[in-house]
Amino acid sequence: MAISLLNILILLLAPFLMIGVIKKTKAFWAGRKGVSIWQPMRDFIRLMKKGSVISETTSWVFKYTPVIGLGAVIFAAMFVPLATGQAIVNLPFAFVIFSYVLGLGKFFSLLSALDTGSSFEGMGASREACFSTIVEPAFFIALASIAALTQNYSFESFKLILKNAGGYGYIIIALAVVTLFIMLLIEGCRVPVDDPTTHLELTMIHEVMILDNSGVDLGLITWSAGIKMFIFEALIANLLIPLSWPLWVSVLAFLAIIFILAVIIGTVESSMARFRMTHVFEFIFLMSITALLILALVTYRVYGG
Amino acid sequence: MGIYFLSLGLLLLGALISVVVSEKWKLKVCTVSSLLSTGLMLLPAIAVLLTGMELGQTVYMSPMVGYVDFRIDLLSAFFLTVISIMSFLGVLYANGYMKPYLGKGMNVSSHCFFLMMLIASMIMVVTVQSAIFFLIVWEIMSLSSFFLVIFEGEKKEVLNAGIKYLIYMHLSMIFILAAMVMLDAHAGSLRFADFANSITPGSTYANIVFLLAFIGFGIKAGFVPFHNWLPDAHPAAPSHVSGIMSGVMIKTGIYGILRFLLFIGTPSKLISYIVLAIAVVSALYGVLYAITQHDIKRLLAYHSIENIGIIGIGIGVGMLGLAYGNQFAAVFGFTGAILHVLNHSIFKELLFFAAGSAYIKTHTRNIELLGGLIKKMPYTALLFIIGSVAICGIPPFNGFVSEFLIYAGMIKGVPASSMSLFIVLVLSIAALAMVGTMAMLCFTKAAGIMFLGNPRGVNLDNVTEVSRVMITPMTILAFLTFFIGMFPQYFIMIAMVPASMFTGGLASLNSLGSLYNMVGELSYYFFLFFILVAVLLGLRKLIGIGKENAVHTTWGCGYDRANNHMQYTASSYADLFISTLKPLFKRVSHIKKPKELFPKEAYYEQEIEDIEEAYIVKPLINWDEKFLTKFERIQNGNIQQYILFGLIFLILAIIGMVYFGG
Repeated sequence: MAISLLNILILLLAPFLMIGVIKKTKAFWAGRKGVSIWQPMRDFIRLMKKGSVISETTSWVFKYTPVIGLGAVIFAAMFVPLATGQAIVNLPFAFVIFSYVLGLGKFFSLLSALDTGSSFEGMGASREACFSTIVEPAFFIALASIAALTQNYSFESFKLILKNAGGYGYIIIALAVVTLFIMLLIEGCRVPVDDPTTHLELTMIHEVMILDNSGVDLGLITWSAGIKMFIFEALIANLLIPLSWPLWVSVLAFLAIIFILAVIIGTVESSMARFRMTHVFEFIFLMSITALLILALVTYRVYGG
Repeated sequence: MGIYFLSLGLLLLGALISVVVSEKWKLKVCTVSSLLSTGLMLLPAIAVLLTGMELGQTVYMSPMVGYVDFRIDLLSAFFLTVISIMSFLGVLYANGYMKPYLGKGMNVSSHCFFLMMLIASMIMVVTVQSAIFFLIVWEIMSLSSFFLVIFEGEKKEVLNAGIKYLIYMHLSMIFILAAMVMLDAHAGSLRFADFANSITPGSTYANIVFLLAFIGFGIKAGFVPFHNWLPDAHPAAPSHVSGIMSGVMIKTGIYGILRFLLFIGTPSKLISYIVLAIAVVSALYGVLYAITQHDIKRLLAYHSIENIGIIGIGIGVGMLGLAYGNQFAAVFGFTGAILHVLNHSIFKELLFFAAGSAYIKTHTRNIELLGGLIKKMPYTALLFIIGSVAICGIPPFNGFVSEFLIYAGMIKGVPASSMSLFIVLVLSIAALAMVGTMAMLCFTKAAGIMFLGNPRGVNLDNVTEVSRVMITPMTILAFLTFFIGMFPQYFIMIAMVPASMFTGGLASLNSLGSLYNMVGELSYYFFLFFILVAVLLGLRKLIGIGKENAVHTTWGCGYDRANNHMQYTASSYADLFISTLKPLFKRVSHIKKPKELFPKEAYYEQEIEDIEEAYIVKPLINWDEKFLTKFERIQNGNIQQYILFGLIFLILAIIGMVYFGG
């Protein structure tokens, strides 16, 4: 119980700091002093105090989507191993439940974008929907392969890769990290897929979908986006932390990995521009390739040699 | 069994009475007889499902047909339940839907008659267990649904779609007939009871029988590449008929495939792979083309192909489980497939009904012209959104449950022995995941463009919510999607009963208890999810208190005079995806470019043609026409010559008889 509470607390609060670290890193590479890493938290609190401007075109879909989205993200996080290496709810085939629950949030965010009747927001929705048709199969290939390798069908399988695959385990883990990192960039809408700080609506993906959200709603949406990124970072961290470490060490290692990943994301964003929309697909297909490589390695390990 | 015949009799009685009473009363008569017959029919069906005891009776029909076995076994009982409930809801919905058509000289009489006949014949298809009578009721089912499709037969495209449907159904008949004849030749009997276990499992003979039956029933079910009638017939038919056809009637094809699977025993690996491959292709193909469609009922028809594909994936996984001796894959594949039959019939009827309600009020099926309906038809919009979420397989609705079972079967079905099976299963998992996300793209498009935003072309001033008679069946269906999603364990238990016919007894299921418990646990967490969302909503309300919300136009990026035609459209929403997969579609553009200095008229229109139709069906028909025109010469209107042809035929026949018979 205490462990679950600790996990939930980290889940709800860490995303703000994570975004803060990304911003700080970008400021560092740009040679600026940058805002404090607490600024995202302050922004959130400020948004919570504001009223909203609501479009006259919208319906209940627009009104409830931020809450449904936040609920879906938190609920999906329950099935994922967090700071302590254990999921709050540990079920077999958790990755299926996980991605379909995230799908609920996505479904409503797409609908909400169309609800405004805007000439721009549908564009972002179209892109987001299109990307996920390529992302999800790759994610399922990677996770199903790992499940078959370890004969464990929950996210615990991440910890058993080394035991089951020997030396190949390191390669599989590396490939899985790359796969999940690309997924993190896509789902979190970061450079080089999407630029969260861009100012031109035509090039946006996630930001353009929420053009009409303001005040509390905007705060909830940015919070859920942060939590979603954090979940994928948590998955990566769990790939890297072995089972044998004592609890407090693995919690510290977890937080360190989250920190390092945030720094890497910030560095990536400072060192490159976002891809042209046509090239984004090539980048996303990279994820399919790494996933297929995992499948190939697992096949070789289990059935070959 | 007496109740079964009574219920069937009530349906036929209703059909006859509805012909003679005045137009106003026809549908009411149908509704009453359908309600009574459904209530009665559920008694034996549910009794069989609960107790596992089969019911049966042999009836002497006529000298030609001979004795006919009527049996309700576990598989029949499940399909009987689905058919009875869903058909009744369809008839109930028809009461409201048909109102605008009454008193206009349309042939409501024959419509009501054939509606009842369709339901009765579907019920008999799943319970008759003698070959000849089965084929007869199968034909009645095809014919009565044909007459339902051509209700608005004065429209040319409706009639064309109807005739196409009729031709496909008779192709299907040929294959089923061939499979039956092969079984008959081997078993020496026309009774289904003798068919079972008459062939050596896994033999080439068994494979051929199954593949013939699979093609025959696959045409009815709508597997790719036999699906071509579906996207034409559904938009042509009235919405309640589309709902019943897509929700229930095409499932009789699935029933036939499952029934033949029982005849051939343990399937060979080869046919299991073929079934899985065709199913995966169907699922992907259906949803791909659904994305390109802007006629809402055509879109839903393509989604039927997708969902039949998902059911097929379940059956394929189950068959592979049997072929490789993997209990887990077998049980979860078949259970998932059978549960998806129920689930799909629920949400597909819901979607067809909701789309039909929008059509009856706006008189257009083109979603590009719609928008903002949620303000005029709030219930219909809500129900359509619920159906959309369910069909995408998103929890906590019913689509998730059956897809989850199929996933579970595939993930855990991986054996240590076969590398090819491992790779096939993992790729099928990826395909199923892709189908889910593409369905999401498709249904956010459909629901978002139809119901949300502002009107795009059709004037909505006079549009109101549909009558309560139409809302009621949709509400029941929406409630069912939600109920199955929240309490999956009970429905999994029910679907496991017919699945046990394939996997051999329920005893082996005890070892799978852990997963059953897990699904029960999942239902508990879905409750927690609702509490979570409710708490968050409460908090959101609390935060919102005392804050001023301003209402403004939608942000147009600085432009303040945005109008309805500047909204994002369905075409543009789908375009990014379609252009990414360009080679899979055949795009036909109709362009009129602006020409003069002050151009007056210009337009651009793009439609996407089904490649199967464009590259396979059409060339085949062209070739066929060319070949057959060579025989035109024979038909010259000269009676003397016709008599000569008859004479030549008779002589040839006699020579043949003497030669082969002697």
